[in-house]
Amino acid sequence: MDDYTVSVLTNIGLISFIALSAYLLIIAGEMSFGQQGFFGVGAYTAGVATAMYGVPLPIAAVMAMGAGAAAAFLVGLPTLRLRGLYFAMATLAAAEMLRIVFELIHFQREIDGEPIGPDGTQGFRGIRWVFENGVEPEGFLAMVWGLLFAVVALFLFMERSKLGATLRMLGEDPELARMLGVHVERFKLGVAAAAGALAALGGALYAHHNTYIEPRNFDIMLGVHSLAYALIGGLGTAFGPLLGVLIDIGALEGSRVFHGYRMIVFGGLVAVLLIFRPRGLLDERVVHWLKRRLA
Amino acid sequence: MALLELKNVSRHFGGVRAVDGLDLAIEPGQIFGLIGPNGSGKSTTVNLISGLFPLTAGSIVFQNEDLAKLPTHLRLQTGIARTFQNIRLFGQLTVWQNLWVAQNSPADRAKRGFFARWLGGQSGVREEISQLLEFSGLAHKQDELAANLAFGEQRRLELARALATRPTLIMLDEPAAGMNTEEIGQLRERILKIRTQGTTVLLVEHVMELVMGVTDRIAVLNFGQKIAEGTPAEIQADVAVRKAYLGGDA
Repeated sequence: MDDYTVSVLTNIGLISFIALSAYLLIIAGEMSFGQQGFFGVGAYTAGVATAMYGVPLPIAAVMAMGAGAAAAFLVGLPTLRLRGLYFAMATLAAAEMLRIVFELIHFQREIDGEPIGPDGTQGFRGIRWVFENGVEPEGFLAMVWGLLFAVVALFLFMERSKLGATLRMLGEDPELARMLGVHVERFKLGVAAAAGALAALGGALYAHHNTYIEPRNFDIMLGVHSLAYALIGGLGTAFGPLLGVLIDIGALEGSRVFHGYRMIVFGGLVAVLLIFRPRGLLDERVVHWLKRRLA
Repeated sequence: MALLELKNVSRHFGGVRAVDGLDLAIEPGQIFGLIGPNGSGKSTTVNLISGLFPLTAGSIVFQNEDLAKLPTHLRLQTGIARTFQNIRLFGQLTVWQNLWVAQNSPADRAKRGFFARWLGGQSGVREEISQLLEFSGLAHKQDELAANLAFGEQRRLELARALATRPTLIMLDEPAAGMNTEEIGQLRERILKIRTQGTTVLLVEHVMELVMGVTDRIAVLNFGQKIAEGTPAEIQADVAVRKAYLGGDA
């Protein structure tokens, strides 16, 4: 594989984490415009851990997930009381607050005579754990996709369990779910924390793929895209958001034909799909049909 | 000792007194009818018992427990289940799954630990669901999405879901609405069978051939207040009830 292909495939994998994070919240009935904030929390946490304190990446990734879950939990406490559009606005505001916090953080250490660490809007350079430890781009690609497959397998297992059915209950009729004995608030808070951890894991890997992060990376466009991926790909299965990422980054950004027109084609695609397939290509009905055919 | 006792229950929406000082006592094993003209507060009463919104005043005691103090998600555990006037199912879930997620009673919780309950998959719970599907005549549709069912089938699934929670009291909110005579006959059979299994029934209904034929006792509401209570025969002879339904001096 040439470097370009490896890079595109790695990117598809990285963005899939935040797309799955948005998906998890959508099936539980919440449209979050703020997952990019937790992606950023993960990127900064893992970056600080490996580049400034020499923590190995696997441990740093776990720390990032913890930080992402904690941040999402704290954001969820007040925002999950809101409904629909108000929840969307509140999560967007929370993510923008996180981005501005990233702009304000100046926290550096001298390592080998060079200052390393987040430097506000100047960004955070030198997150080089992957290169310093001799991981080839192909190796990193395998790591990203290995983790992604593990996460997808977890999703597929969860969707077969009562936990998955309960998420869909919350998405469709939370009041009815409550009358059937589900503690709606507690459940949604748990879902929000899990989604935050997932986005943060993606962010941790993203920081180490790029070696450089800046607050701008975690702006609203990333959040909108991650929602769009889930909505294009479909809400019937965890493969939906992956399909969405594949269509956008794989077919549009990756191909020379569409390259310059990517946003136009992508925006058009979102609009058309929202009209004709409001729950995406792989929506619940299609997935149900496929399952019966395969069974 | 009444199974369910409503004392001076009121629910006001702004200036509207949807339910106003209602007293009601339902004995164990009864099939209790709740009738009245449109807007008389029947559905509001059922909603108050199931905790959709809080009481303005009064108390609801079920098996010596004050329901008003109990959060909605815990009321199922006391043994109260219901169906809805406008059918509410999880359309994205299959018929089978709709019953599966309702198996959340204390007995079901005790049988399986936390992990088995949430992550344990679908084995070991099939027998009871099969029985319910058989009872509702939905066995052949078990893998269909609930959204794809016909109207009558959706009503039957709602009833089965309520039974899947192992209720002591089941509240049926206009279960015969939109049904033909044959379906009403089947519904009547099912209601009688439910009582035979030891479940008390609160039936809110407009279809008089069903209410009069199946209930032991009936309360009549008008403008949120109880205007009569008695056996079906007493209610049919009651002057105030005729007035409420037909108006004037009938």
